[in-house]
Amino acid sequence: MNSSLLLSIVTFGYLLSAIFYLSGVVFQRKPLLAAGGVCGLATLLLQTAALGRRWMESYALGYGHAPFANLYESLVFGAWAITCIYLVLERRLKQRSLGFFPLLIAFMAMAYASFSPEVDSKIQPLVPALKSNWLIAHVVTCFLGYAAFAVSCGISITYLLRDSKLSNPNPSGFMAMIPEPRRLDELNHQMVLFGFLWLSVGIITGSVWANSAWGTYWSWDPKETWSLITWLVYAALLHSRSLKGWRGRRVAKLSILGFTCVLFTYFGVNFLLSGLHSYGAK
Amino acid sequence: MEDKRSFWSVFYEQLASLKFTIFILFALAATSLVGTLLPQGGSQEEIVARYGAAMAKIIDMLGLADLYHAGWFRLLLLLLGVNLIVCTMERLPKTLKLLRYRDRTVEPEKLLKLASHAEMKTSFTWDQVRPVLERIVSETIGPVRRVEMPSGDGAYAAVAEKGRWSLLMVYVVHLSVLVVLLGALTGSVFGFKAFMNIAEGESTDEAEPPSGNGVFQLPFQVRLDKFDVSFYEGGMPKDYRSDVTIIDGGREALKGSVRVNDPLTYNGVTFYQASYGSVLKQAEIEIQNTQSGAVYKLTLPFKEMVDIPETQSKIMAMHYEEDFSGFGPAIVLVVFDEGAKPAVSRVLVNHPDFHGNQFQNYRVRVLRTEQSRYTGLQVKRDPGVWIVWCGFITMILGIGAAYWMGSRKVWVWASTGAGKGGVRIVVAGRADKDTFAFEQIFEDLCEQLRTELKAEDANAAADGAPKAGSRKNGQEIR
Ligand code: HEM
Repeated sequence: MNSSLLLSIVTFGYLLSAIFYLSGVVFQRKPLLAAGGVCGLATLLLQTAALGRRWMESYALGYGHAPFANLYESLVFGAWAITCIYLVLERRLKQRSLGFFPLLIAFMAMAYASFSPEVDSKIQPLVPALKSNWLIAHVVTCFLGYAAFAVSCGISITYLLRDSKLSNPNPSGFMAMIPEPRRLDELNHQMVLFGFLWLSVGIITGSVWANSAWGTYWSWDPKETWSLITWLVYAALLHSRSLKGWRGRRVAKLSILGFTCVLFTYFGVNFLLSGLHSYGAK
Repeated sequence: MEDKRSFWSVFYEQLASLKFTIFILFALAATSLVGTLLPQGGSQEEIVARYGAAMAKIIDMLGLADLYHAGWFRLLLLLLGVNLIVCTMERLPKTLKLLRYRDRTVEPEKLLKLASHAEMKTSFTWDQVRPVLERIVSETIGPVRRVEMPSGDGAYAAVAEKGRWSLLMVYVVHLSVLVVLLGALTGSVFGFKAFMNIAEGESTDEAEPPSGNGVFQLPFQVRLDKFDVSFYEGGMPKDYRSDVTIIDGGREALKGSVRVNDPLTYNGVTFYQASYGSVLKQAEIEIQNTQSGAVYKLTLPFKEMVDIPETQSKIMAMHYEEDFSGFGPAIVLVVFDEGAKPAVSRVLVNHPDFHGNQFQNYRVRVLRTEQSRYTGLQVKRDPGVWIVWCGFITMILGIGAAYWMGSRKVWVWASTGAGKGGVRIVVAGRADKDTFAFEQIFEDLCEQLRTELKAEDANAAADGAPKAGSRKNGQEIR
């Protein structure tokens, strides 16, 4: 079985897991949530194996590089990172009701990678600029950051939904499974700070790498600039919590705005703007 | 109350406020965004062609075509730095005071007002209670410090604390931002960036600054010994490599190679592989005098004058184009006649019958060309880069610490009075982050106390409820 087939199974594994999580919350059935967790974990393990397999396949082709080198591979790794971060969070919190959004995003990333004609799933050799040990450090750290922001975006949407029933601290229906807003807000802040840490490391490794590849650690290339914009938005978020009246809804909205910036940094820059990071482009 | 504060103190207060920080962060984000939508670093003509004259004027006035180097953009960065410094000056003394703070008294009434608190009673004697209490608290939080209260009434009070220093981590992060800005400033003031093309076998000490005008003189010569490019089977480039020799004071000082991702540094000046191409070394041509029919073969070394036989004229290959308008390589020839203006003609190498392959009364055919590769190197000196690296490392450590470290504190108060229905214990705690995890830890601590001391929850005992009072602050765990 080659890695592409395994990764197709992974796509459906995440979809299944997201459906379990959603139905668990909607029908208020804890066993369904547990099934979502088990399915998510099994899929994550399968995906880990598939990634390892793809890495080996690249050696068999004579290219030999970590599977983080093009749009397809980075999407797949993004899905992996989101699921991984979410499952760790779930374990730590003993709280399963927040799984729908992260798994949905993971599924969408995998589906886009697998089925979009714009994304080439072939294993390609590395062009000289990408041949660097910084490649792994840069991609892995950036994507840990993006993944944390994706989870935070999910928490924020949940927050906004949950908070509209604020007048009722013990809501009925499917909101009954969701933690109270105050708790979601704190979770969100932790997730954003975690993402901010990795985004910072990602930008820094990228700029150290650019310095050795192109002789400048910052050249205001559109991708660089957009990652800085994202960083600034999340920095503003981290500080706005301390402002009167910002905690809660506004912070949740800022987190959604931040994740929009992440998506634009990732897709928009590749498809709409041009620059040094043509790596994701066709 | 009248606000009599001076303009400056209001100004200073604004400058030190978090609101201002958020304003600047958003302003930087928004202007950076504009910079990614407008083409940067293009010429005025391009902008006029694209946006029209009126719009181009506005773009020029605001410096939007080179936004990241515009004065007002730098002013925003400067304001961020000033905001950070002022903010730190305002807050650091308070934080330091907090770091030195020691509890002098512990009042049970105040402890009961904290979000995480518990009150319990045990029939054990104080001598039995104390070691258990101190052990459990120090195991979960950290070393227990006794608070000697002046008006003790014999009551026992203690605090246990962890991670007080984490208060300083935010300052570490902020310092790192300043250090990065300082490093970037140092680089732009004391460093330089330029570009040089060197053909194989040649050496130069001239580089072209990005502004495009003037030359930048290096204090030594760079010779390109060999340029090499290799490809994968599918045709994608695999490696670019320039083997160079640095000649300093007439002596070969350093031999090395410059590859993408693998620059070469000499005396603080670093060379990066940026581009490559080919230049003409020499061309063999055949010229035919269309009047006399005579044919000559000439070898033209690049940019050297060669006599045309039986005439007073000289000819030179002045310029080489790798691809002229899709017709392949072309050579620009110049003919010099005594007292006349030089005649220039472009000769296509691969199209010998092209009608333009002539000048005056001569037809020209290119028989053979010999090319040599040239390499394009980015040259840079940046004395600020180490400052930037230091800032980066500090930033990662600081944000990491801000994420992982947090402060936790637990207060304990106990009545030691024997006989009067046992010992009353009040415990309370607070954490500055991850408060839900802390609530859990605090509950576990209380649960352990209750078990080991066979204690009853004080208010639970009073109203006869079971021990479930401990769930007061907790979340139900799903
Ligand atoms: C690009 C610039 C900045 C970055 C990257 C940055 C980063 C950070 C980080 C990572 C934290 C910790 C957040 C947390 O623990 O949740 C923080 C907290 C803080 N920052 Fe900044 N900061 C910046 C600029 C500023 C400025 C200019 C000020 C001046 C007013 C400021 C004031 C504060 C304060 C007061 C806190 C503590 C907030 C709290 O306790 O919730 N920061 N900053």
